[in-house]
Amino acid sequence: MKTKIFLTLIIAIVSASCARSTISDDRVSLFLTSFIKNDVKVSIRLDGNANEEYVLSATFTPPDGYHLYSKDIPLTGVDGLGRPTLLELTSESQMKTLGGLMENVKAQKPDFEPKDLLIYPVGAVTLSLPIELPPGNEWVDDAVKVTYMLCSNNSCKEPVIGKIVPVRIPGEGVFAGQ
Amino acid sequence: MNKKIVIVLIPVILLACNFLFPPKPTQTPESIVAPPTKPTSQPSDDQILTKTGFTVVRLHPEDDDLQTMLATEAQKAAALGQMPVVEFDATWCPPCRAIEAALNSENELMLKAYEGTYIIKLDVDEWEWDDGRVQNFVFDFIPVYFKLDAEGKQTGKVIDGGAWGEDIPKNIAPVMDEFFHGG
Repeated sequence: MKTKIFLTLIIAIVSASCARSTISDDRVSLFLTSFIKNDVKVSIRLDGNANEEYVLSATFTPPDGYHLYSKDIPLTGVDGLGRPTLLELTSESQMKTLGGLMENVKAQKPDFEPKDLLIYPVGAVTLSLPIELPPGNEWVDDAVKVTYMLCSNNSCKEPVIGKIVPVRIPGEGVFAGQ
Repeated sequence: MNKKIVIVLIPVILLACNFLFPPKPTQTPESIVAPPTKPTSQPSDDQILTKTGFTVVRLHPEDDDLQTMLATEAQKAAALGQMPVVEFDATWCPPCRAIEAALNSENELMLKAYEGTYIIKLDVDEWEWDDGRVQNFVFDFIPVYFKLDAEGKQTGKVIDGGAWGEDIPKNIAPVMDEFFHGG
């Protein structure tokens, strides 16, 4: 009887241990870095799947009552007003862009003129960029660029334009070898 | 005897399991944030308005030292019997534009609120707003207004857009009226 209990215990422990290691075999999710600038918290991460498709994403979190502007407005704003929210690779990056920038919330027309000055609803916004990782089995130093501007209905902070954010990213072989 | 074998086997199996299925990395080493960059927008053109009962001027850093110019403008304000107020704004700032539009459209509430003021506009891009500071003016948001004394120095009375709700004249005017003309 005692032997059976021990064997059951062993099977349970081994199953739990192995499950911990394999549960994320088909998915990779890495926090890369975060910072706060002009009251906006920006968190950058890398996600991947079993098909070796990787997405770089940045979550921009403004304070309560403040909003950011659509990724699709011009870099110089609409009639000079506002600045887009952007996540970009630097020209020297070892990563490559595989598609356009995606947003997790839809920008809306404002209550004021110009109506083309699209704004995101109050709250956090995540932008995602499909990318190709650099070849190799090593982690490499790289950087991304972020742009955004924080406003409420009645005041604004200085825009953050093309801020270079250093990140350390894995070569594609780092995941392929696991 | 069986128990001893089992107890020895548990760590061996666990080690083997971790070796066969190594855990994935979850975090990279700490990253360093790069130095901030400056925005690229251009200052708007010179604008000098003399509406009924108030004046608007814009100062540029290439013209002179800021404090010298503020002292000069404060004297001009005194000569007109108006109160000097510094306003920081920017071309990219929608609330700043909304206030300017309300004044330009000669909204009655706004005209009344601004009566007797001498507004000295400074574009934060021209004047290098850095870490919440333009020279000895400290502020986090624009638009922002600083009352000046007769020598062009700050009186310590400040107000920014956060003092009112949505950027419409009926919200802005009473607050600005109280700021400009209240105690």
